Amino acid sequence: MAVCVAVIGKDNSPKYIRCVDESSALQFHCKVHTSIDIIEEKLNVGNKAATDIRDLYLNLLYATEEYKIYGYATNTKIKFIIVLHSSNVSLRDNDVKMIFKKLHAAYSNAVCNSFYIPGDQLNSRQVQSI
Amino acid sequence: MSRAGTKLDSKKVFCMKNILRYDENLYIINSELFTLTYGALVAQLLKDYENVEDVNKQLERMGYNMGIRLIEDFLARTGSGRCYDFRDTAEKIQTGFKIFLGITPTITNWSAAGDEFSLCFEANPLTEFVELPDHCLNLKYCNVLIGVLRGACEMVQMEIACWFVQDQLKNDNVTELRIKFIKRLEDAIPAGED
Amino acid sequence: MRQQIIDTKINLHASGEADECLFEYLHAEMVNYALSKSCKNKEGEEELSRLEWMGFSVGYRIIERLTREWNRFKDELDMIKFICTDFWSSLYHKQIDNLRTNHHGVYVLQDNSFRLLNKVGTNSNKQYLQETPRLLSFTCGLLRGSLANLGIISTVNAEISTLPSCKFHVQVQRI
Repeated sequence: MAVCVAVIGKDNSPKYIRCVDESSALQFHCKVHTSIDIIEEKLNVGNKAATDIRDLYLNLLYATEEYKIYGYATNTKIKFIIVLHSSNVSLRDNDVKMIFKKLHAAYSNAVCNSFYIPGDQLNSRQVQSI
Repeated sequence: MSRAGTKLDSKKVFCMKNILRYDENLYIINSELFTLTYGALVAQLLKDYENVEDVNKQLERMGYNMGIRLIEDFLARTGSGRCYDFRDTAEKIQTGFKIFLGITPTITNWSAAGDEFSLCFEANPLTEFVELPDHCLNLKYCNVLIGVLRGACEMVQMEIACWFVQDQLKNDNVTELRIKFIKRLEDAIPAGED
Repeated sequence: MRQQIIDTKINLHASGEADECLFEYLHAEMVNYALSKSCKNKEGEEELSRLEWMGFSVGYRIIERLTREWNRFKDELDMIKFICTDFWSSLYHKQIDNLRTNHHGVYVLQDNSFRLLNKVGTNSNKQYLQETPRLLSFTCGLLRGSLANLGIISTVNAEISTLPSCKFHVQVQRI
């Protein structure tokens, strides 16, 4: 399973971060912030390579010795980030994509709750169940 | 050549294949429009009224107005005639839910006298995305349904009372709506009808 | 097997129409409510901000779901085209009939028979022309909310000349 999942809002502020191991949360926050920059770069319209990425799934953003970090950005400029252990080989590219799809579905359901005010922190039960 | 900001270029964006592709999803999306619009209305009412009870009342009133129009659509669509008894009415209400919301609530818990029954909803498109915040525990989110039923029945000369017994939004297993027959409204039959 | 698939589709269509009137009646109630809460301003125009705001809220949320299976948009025009075709047909069962733009942030979306105006009257019936802004306010908000969530900040106004056709003017705010 993923060791950290994050939802980043339009303004690049984190809306939801959950780590399996809460004691090392800070470390993951840093990683997530680094990956925001990489996503921004990938999406930057001026960048020629960027126009090729029409898929919402942005693939592997970067890898360190310990972790692999994947990204996904919606049409509404919400970014999802998933961190995996490098040693985790059971999850293939397609599986990661499926997790993102599920996360996206849960996110859009949470937004459709008429009591959710867009831009607030997410605390929907649906998102938490992932 | 058109000058910037003045003349508008005409551009047709008509494309048949788009229509075809969406066909299957049309029904789902369309009911989402209704679901979300209703949600926005409830949120607006909560903003406008201080008292949650007033919101419930307002929702009921709006439902009533919708009900007196919906019954016409129901009769036109089903071609159904008068109800033989209250059990018949129950089935027709069930059909109504099927037609308009695409759900089939179960009819249960008849009273011994046969003048009172429950409708149990497992799924309810109205509450599909809703998670009630803590400060709205007195809100009857689906109160519009009560109004709709009351309005619709009144148009066919029947006075009923209904209320929620259980509510999934408040962590009950099902949403249970209790419906009670009060009386026939003989006076309301328009002149000229037998 | 084939036959079965076709059959279910017909059923879906029948019920699709049914909740069409559900939405229309709800919309009518919202219009009445908004009017009961508003007071006319100096020019005698109705204040419809509640309706607009409810539309905004719905648009902002529904676009999140509608674009879920969609590839990333290339640019602004790409988004507007999506609104005119798939967005419009999933909400109002038809596409926008005509889109015009000056390529500088002004878009005019024309619908020749807008769903919420269909029942008000046809062929240049001037009787209800005064009252029509209240029927379009929700949709103006819907457009503004959807575009806002896609990252386009705009103002949206509606214009009616002959029922049941209408035009939505989208003016993009450049920052």
